Amino acid sequence: MNKITRSWIVNGEPREAEFAPVRRLLDVLREDLGLKGTKEGCGEGECGACTVIVNGQPVLACLMAAGQVEDQAEIVTVEGLEKTETGRILQQAYIEKGAAQCGFCIPGMIVSSYALLEQHAHPDAGLIRESHAGNICRCTGYEKIVEAIQTAAERRAGNTGS
Amino acid sequence: MSTKAKASKRIPRVGQGVARLDADEKVRGLAEYADDLQVPDAWYGYIVRSPVSHGRLRALTLDPDYDWSRIVVVTPDDIPGENIVDMMGRDMPFIAHDEIQYRGEPIALVAAPTRKQAREAAAHVRADIEELPPLLTLGEMIDRYKRDPSELHELCAQTIRKGDAERALEEAELVVEGEYRAGHQEQLYIEPQGMVAVPEKDGSVFIHGSMQCPYFINPELCVTLDLPPEKIRVKQSAVGGAFGGKEEFPTLLAGYCALLALKAKRPVKIIYDRHQDILYSTKRHPVWSRYRTGLDKDGTIRALCVEYVLDGGAYTTLSPVVMYRGILHAAMGYRCDHVWVDGYVFRTNTFPSGAFRGFGAPQAVWGLESHVDDLAKACGMTPHEFRLRNALREGDVTPTGGVLRHSVGSPAVLTQTVERSGFVEKLSRCSHGRVSDGKWYGIGMSFFAHGAGFTGDGEARFKAKVALDLEPGEDGWPVVLVRASSTEMGQGTFTILPQVAADGLCIDLNRVRNPYPDTKYVPNSGPTVASRTAMVVGSTVYGAAQKMKKQLEEYVTREFTGGQAVQLVDGQFLTADEKVAMTFEEAATHHFQHRGPLRVYDQFRLPDYLQWDQKNFVGDAYPSYSWGCNVAEVEVDPRTLEVNVLKVTGVYDIGKVLNPVLAKGQLEGGLVQALGYAVMEKIEIKDGLFDASRMQTYVIPTTLDIPEFDLDFVEFPYEFAVPGAKGVGEIPMNGLGPAIANAVEQATGVRMRELPITPETLFAAMTRGASGPLLRTGTA
Amino acid sequence: MSPVSTLKTFEDIDCTFPKTLQEALELMADEKTRGVPLAGGTDLMVQWESGALPMPERVINVKSIPELREISEADNEVVIGGSVTHMELRQSSAVRRAVPSLAEAAATIGGFQIQIMGTLAGSVANASPAGDLAPSLLITDGTVTLAGVRGEREVKLTEFWKGYREIDRQPDELIVRFRLPRLPEGHYESWRKLGARKAQAISKVMGSSRGRMKDGVVSCFKVALGSIAPTAVRLYDVEQWIVGQPIHDETLKEAEQRVADAVKPIGDIRSTAEYRKWVSGRLVRLFLEELAARSG
Repeated sequence: MNKITRSWIVNGEPREAEFAPVRRLLDVLREDLGLKGTKEGCGEGECGACTVIVNGQPVLACLMAAGQVEDQAEIVTVEGLEKTETGRILQQAYIEKGAAQCGFCIPGMIVSSYALLEQHAHPDAGLIRESHAGNICRCTGYEKIVEAIQTAAERRAGNTGS
Repeated sequence: MSTKAKASKRIPRVGQGVARLDADEKVRGLAEYADDLQVPDAWYGYIVRSPVSHGRLRALTLDPDYDWSRIVVVTPDDIPGENIVDMMGRDMPFIAHDEIQYRGEPIALVAAPTRKQAREAAAHVRADIEELPPLLTLGEMIDRYKRDPSELHELCAQTIRKGDAERALEEAELVVEGEYRAGHQEQLYIEPQGMVAVPEKDGSVFIHGSMQCPYFINPELCVTLDLPPEKIRVKQSAVGGAFGGKEEFPTLLAGYCALLALKAKRPVKIIYDRHQDILYSTKRHPVWSRYRTGLDKDGTIRALCVEYVLDGGAYTTLSPVVMYRGILHAAMGYRCDHVWVDGYVFRTNTFPSGAFRGFGAPQAVWGLESHVDDLAKACGMTPHEFRLRNALREGDVTPTGGVLRHSVGSPAVLTQTVERSGFVEKLSRCSHGRVSDGKWYGIGMSFFAHGAGFTGDGEARFKAKVALDLEPGEDGWPVVLVRASSTEMGQGTFTILPQVAADGLCIDLNRVRNPYPDTKYVPNSGPTVASRTAMVVGSTVYGAAQKMKKQLEEYVTREFTGGQAVQLVDGQFLTADEKVAMTFEEAATHHFQHRGPLRVYDQFRLPDYLQWDQKNFVGDAYPSYSWGCNVAEVEVDPRTLEVNVLKVTGVYDIGKVLNPVLAKGQLEGGLVQALGYAVMEKIEIKDGLFDASRMQTYVIPTTLDIPEFDLDFVEFPYEFAVPGAKGVGEIPMNGLGPAIANAVEQATGVRMRELPITPETLFAAMTRGASGPLLRTGTA
Repeated sequence: MSPVSTLKTFEDIDCTFPKTLQEALELMADEKTRGVPLAGGTDLMVQWESGALPMPERVINVKSIPELREISEADNEVVIGGSVTHMELRQSSAVRRAVPSLAEAAATIGGFQIQIMGTLAGSVANASPAGDLAPSLLITDGTVTLAGVRGEREVKLTEFWKGYREIDRQPDELIVRFRLPRLPEGHYESWRKLGARKAQAISKVMGSSRGRMKDGVVSCFKVALGSIAPTAVRLYDVEQWIVGQPIHDETLKEAEQRVADAVKPIGDIRSTAEYRKWVSGRLVRLFLEELAARSG
């Protein structure tokens, strides 16, 4: 198979990878780029643990052919969140509210939260729930996750004065 | 200065909702789960499985046209020790060599440099199997049971006999009967099963991966690999959820990896994908129960007769203890002098059923609490009146004759839940399938207990051991390490045990850590199961912490204060006149320099009055019980029969609440699993395999499926296990199913006798006609 | 010894990345360069992984072809490019005005991630009986346009699904756009999906309707249901019968009965044949009730 090369901005840094074009983005991130934070829970787009952000949009890295992510695309994974203010606020809120239990869904969950807050400064509870319906958690019952996102949204809005 | 005054200065850690100590690595994506472990040169293992459900393996051959040069194959002949999985029965081979008991049973193992090659090689192992007729489903099993139980292969059985229930039944004014059923439930932890085995130069094996019970794996592999215990080191990686699903099953995976690794002479890892995980790992035991209850018209329960039958799958594994817990909860919670319970586990030719949060109790409470609503109705009482009249209270006697001496949260949980939920008023608003416009509304309740710790005298005999190590930490400051085999799988072990240790020592929580259990360092505090960690291991950690505190106080007294006694309070050694002699850090550092690190042990003890007769099932079945009550409110759409659970109210007595944030998280998460069990999660056997074998078909609740929760605790601390926790892990799973079924009956007028309750099952029940209102269809 | 691998993975699939529609059509024209059109991957990647479909030799990435990503409004219709995503469908004011039930249906597919990845043409081409967008497309009486190097071809959506997972597409063709007649003034649409949970569910039964009440009777009614037959279906007999009828309890009962009699669903892992049959009638009844309520 002819491999292709892609140059992306991953978590704010330029990264280059060479891979078979339909290799899953998940495998490129985890194995080729060493970003093991992104998890595989089902491999078929149901659990959301592999959620990453490509050009501002949350997508499932297990269903995306890495070749479909074009050169210069900006990718954010869980490892990149602490480099952003929104990410740090979310991490703190998740910690304080007890939103993580086993933690396996969290890389995808908190990336979905990040995508939400970057697009909606004041999400209501309904939007918070709907935007995370593609992230399955078996531990928490979601209550503390929703609380954490609400808290983070309030703090973030307070910080930016928006 | 009295100790009391000093104690009042203490900053408590227990009882505070401190943030999880493992939260930071989890929100940053740094926690290392099994598939994240860096294992250089590891090969991938794959399991060759039986294509038939029941048969006799005649021969196993390797495809001669396939290139086997870079493949390792393990068959029973390669097993150094016994080809036996040494759980409760000794009926399960590691790798089948003769009779095959389920579709998917391992018949060989392969390892290869890549996952793809391993999968491919497995497809080139050929099995010649003589097929035998299988028994596949709970339905078929119960048909045979009713016809003639001797047609079934009994894996285990046990009875409870209190009084003369048959006679009491005959003498009762009313007799109410009912049958209840529930199918398999998949744990569906989000991290699939994963394990790595590394063969070491000295002939030992290092097992690292996703597990609940390191000390289950160790003795098992001694038998299989024929190695002494010290040659098998087992370490837990981060665990992405377990719920019982990683209790006994990882032992098998560890064995497969170890057998392959020893033969390949290199590390071997097996990471299941989701499809394999659902097809080939344990599920909750399917249950069928039948109740016959004798009542007086005034609501007195005269006799309770219960049959409790589980589908064990192909082998015994842990089924006896699951069934024991089941029968101990099948008639638990109510005053009754005559109780007979018969418990059975029979074989079907399916993947062995196993541990799942609640461990037989949810299956039991499902039947019992549905039945109790029928009892209330039979004597013209409301659900809460009947339960309040009959609920066990302090000093009452359980079905096995144990006396509830201490820490009895009944009837407090019951009265508080009824009040909080507005049950009485709302009950009068239920639709009973009679409202023609809009939705049908219903409210229902359940009341239940959950035995904390091992069943029977398990804890008394086991005597859990823990250690605390005081040693220099990575930052150079002293750190106390909790050394227990209790694992963190999301429930909060690595936070509550340090909280308890910090309290016992009276030092700051940030000086305590709980590393991942590694059998090289931790004594055997038992498996992380049975809602036992907070009570049993927690109180033992507390004991160890108090011992360490005393030793440090004596050390400071001896070395620094010239014999003047000191007390460690909030990280400082105080003399009797409240002067600070030195800090905890200073004393510990001095100890390292002159005496080295400090290790103390402690062991769990129970009061002597607890008595248990395992043979006759008489006595104190558990050291203590947690208690709970649920009220569920539902709305059923008459147009589609969709059931919408609107609100769940619950009050729980889990003893002392060690960390309210984590404990609430256990309730919410457990209730949502119970919600799935009640109205959503359905998995059946098709052609010998689980049909809903993907997350697309095995559906669990999402963020949008969550009812409103109103949850609270009422604390009845267990004084024999300081700081007084009982158990919280499992009890949230126990009661929601029947509360919802009872609410559905109030909404629709139809008594549902099988879980999950879906629009399809409701439709079938309603069109069967006998029990429900006519549907307002075009046909009506 | 067999040196040839018998197992294929994603990494054995070749892929081309055409920049324009013309380039893509040229690749599709030649058997040597032709591939399976891959857009969001939300159906195909799953089916390849699970073995439900064999791994293809080659795929053609059609996701970012600009011509396939447009939504435009004409006088009486909305034109939607094949690679428009479910999220774009639900957010587009043009789509919400023209075919509101399509926007609603798109909002019930998967979670946000799937909606962001999955595309209209992908869902249509996947041709699952449970494809949530099909009923809303069917009730518009719109068309799908396919293109090959030889030119374009327009097919009525009501004739596009030929059978179970079968569509009227030639091997060299790509689905390029959908032309959907807009909801006329005074008409209303309904949409309802029944799944095992409130999000991320594969439908047990779902459907859409478009209709109008005039002078107290139904003057126009189109209704389609999915997950009850090998393809989503229009219920023409019921549509014809209800036109000219007032909506009251008796006609609702009769409509319900006619639907239940007309559909022949199967039972599978998601639902039973009996429930599907019954609830199909209930859904149509519900749509008629909504139509009456909205028409005041």
